[in-house]
Parts: sequence; C-alpha cells; structure tokens
Amino acid sequence: MRNLLNFLLKYNNIIVFLILEGIAFYWLTNGNIYHNSRIVKTVHGITRGLEQRITNAKNYLSLREVNLKLAEENSALLNRVEKLSRPGSSYFEPVNDTTAGQQYQFTSARVINNSVNKQKNFITINKGSFQGIKPDMALTDGKNVVGMVVGCSGNFSVAISLLNLDFRLSARLKSSGYFGSLTWDGRNPRYAVLNEIPQHIQVSQGDTVETTAFSAVFPEGIGIGRVNEIRNSGSDFYRITVELFTDFRQVQHVNVIGNLKREEQLELELQYQ
Amino acid sequence: MINTILKYGLITVVLILLQILVLNNIQFSGYVNPYVYIIIILLLPWLTPSWIVLIVAFFTGLLIDLAAGSPGMHASATLLAGFARPFVLRLIAPRDGYDPGSSLSMASYGFRWFLIYASAIVLIHHTTLFFIEVFRFADFFRTILRILLSSIFTLAFILLIEYYRKGR
Repeated sequence: MRNLLNFLLKYNNIIVFLILEGIAFYWLTNGNIYHNSRIVKTVHGITRGLEQRITNAKNYLSLREVNLKLAEENSALLNRVEKLSRPGSSYFEPVNDTTAGQQYQFTSARVINNSVNKQKNFITINKGSFQGIKPDMALTDGKNVVGMVVGCSGNFSVAISLLNLDFRLSARLKSSGYFGSLTWDGRNPRYAVLNEIPQHIQVSQGDTVETTAFSAVFPEGIGIGRVNEIRNSGSDFYRITVELFTDFRQVQHVNVIGNLKREEQLELELQYQ
Repeated sequence: MINTILKYGLITVVLILLQILVLNNIQFSGYVNPYVYIIIILLLPWLTPSWIVLIVAFFTGLLIDLAAGSPGMHASATLLAGFARPFVLRLIAPRDGYDPGSSLSMASYGFRWFLIYASAIVLIHHTTLFFIEVFRFADFFRTILRILLSSIFTLAFILLIEYYRKGR
C-alpha cells in the first residue's frame, strides 16, 4: 500500500497528464463526428446567444449588399414567373395537390456561425427540424453551392461547408457535360479542386463548373465556380483548380434545398446495386 | 498569494477573450492562425506546482475548444505544452538557477532566454495542434509549413505582449 502511495506521489504529474490527455482524446474522437456530441451541443446553446448577437450586428452592417442581392434575385424570379404563367390560356389545368410536380423545396435561413480558416469548416444556421430541415439537404447562397446539412436540433442545423476536407461533390463542366468530383484542398477559401476529368476533354480557363443531380442532394445546374488553372496530375486525369463563386467569408443568408423525391430515388437505386 | 492568483486569472480571461473574439477570426492565406492564448501557460510563476499547470492548461484549452467548436484539439495540445514546460525549463535554466519568487517573463530573465523558452513551448503546442487538426500525415510538409508560419506569428504577438508588460 505504501509503495503504491509512494509511486502515485512520485509520478503524480504524469498521472494527471495522462488522465487529462485521455479525457481530451476521448472527447476529440467522440465529438469530432460532425461536432454533434452532446457536450458541444449544450455549450453551443450557451455561446449561441453571444454568437447570434455578434451576427446581428454584422448583418446590420451589410444590409446594403444583401438588399442588392435580394433585388437581383427578385427580378430573376419575376422574369421566370412571367414566362410560366400565361393568363387566359387553357393549357394549364389547376392541380389540387400543390406538390405533385414539385421536386425541390426551398427554405431560407440565416448563417449564425461560420468559419473559413480551419481544415474542417462547418456552418450553423438558424433553422432546424421544427422548420422542416433534415440532414442531407443542400445549402446554397441563392445561386451557388455552400454546403450540405449534416445534423439538426430543433431550431438549429449544422452544415458541412464546401471548405471542409471531408466534403465531396459531384460536379461537371457546363460546356462539355463531363463530370468529376470536387473537393477542397484546405489551402485557400477561394479555390477548390475538380478531379477525375479525363485528359482528352477540351477544358479552357473560365469554363463554368456546376452541380450534377447524381447525389440526389443538389439540384442540377447549381453554380460552383469557374475553371482557374488546369494541370495534368500525372495520371490520365486533369487536376483543375476552380475559383468558387461563393465568397464564404461573407455568406449570411442561405437557401436550404430539400429533395422531396430523394428517398424514392435512393430506394430504387438500392435495389439494383 | 491571492493577489498573484487574481492577476493571473485576469490575464487568463483577457487572453481567452482576445483569442475567441479577435484572433480566431483572423484568416491569412490559410497558413497563419495565431494561437496567442498559449502565453497563459508560459507566464505561470516558476513555483506553480506542475499539476496546477496541467489543470490550468487543460481548462484553457477546453474553453478555447468550446468557443471554437473543435472538441478536444486545443485541450490536448495545450495540455501537452503544459506537460513539457518543466522539462523545457530544466533544459534552459540560467546559470544561477531560477529565482523562486520570480515570474517567468522577459523582464526577469532577458530577451534571449524568453525567446528560446517561448519558441520551444509554442512549437510543441502548434505541432500537436495542427497535426491533431488535420489528423493525417498526408500533406505532411504543408502542415509543417502551417506550423512554422503560425508559430512565427504567435511568437510575434507574444513578444509584443511581453514588451508592453516590460515597458510598464
């Protein structure tokens, strides 16, 4: 017994160190799966009040830009409505089930926490499962890709940002239609990398890169960025640097896009794979 | 005694707030993220028992983690820095030893000593932190570059703070 006590006294440093480091690592491995651990959630609840206040102030300062953007989007939508509705024509019958032909459902939300300077960035938005947000919904800033929802609480959701080493997205070149996979390399929040485009394709600087509908998360044709630099990666594929349309440092309002037919599609695909 | 504890408590709170509210928002080409809060571990008086250093280190890291939403990363890195502190101090002890009552600052032991001391601890902390953050050895040299650049910026901040304290 005395030997044990002596031992403990002699090595008390190392023991305290190991215990605390153990706790830290336990937390690291458990909590890091998309930051969903309970502790983080509870404490986020507390810090969120502060964050929300800071965000409010920031939002106020950039109202002008936001207004401009909204006005732009408004006019684009108005144009579309104009094209679709033909008053007095009998081509269109009223339909009672309003979601009959609808595949995507849009919800707007505000960003209340965001980062661009880590290797794995996440975005918190102020809507959650009570507002109909579910995991695997897409996040855009109105026109361009921002991220994908990975977890929801009642009133908040956490989305994995495009600026995250774990984020993968099926993307294609608008000009030729060839698709590859888009990732972020962790270097610069303005640029991402498009891989798996074979080298016999003609790619030129400035080509638009957009989403495909393959993942059943993003609708087809959402903008991602512009081809900035084309390099041969040694194999038969290009390594294309894409300059992102979205400025992640000032994303404030996002559109959450849910695919109403996603489950149907995945279920069918599962039967044959 | 109480006075010293109060003083260090105040410094700790100010530094943590500085880290959370200002420095965590700095984005500088993706390579530079200064983590100045490590100075809390540097400045604890020489007489502090090492288990207290460890506990202070752990909770400082914990607070930064909670604010940054990065579970465990800062806690484990800061803890390792706190654990390494006595060894570093022993390695670079001045010729006539440490003065028991003194604080480990630039004012007490001079610029050269403090620079070596701070660089060692900051490098240990940043190396652990950045490797835990990426959690893979791919991109090894890029991580090293990030560690070096961030360490330089952190050191610059720490030296600034020390000069300010010395000047007063």
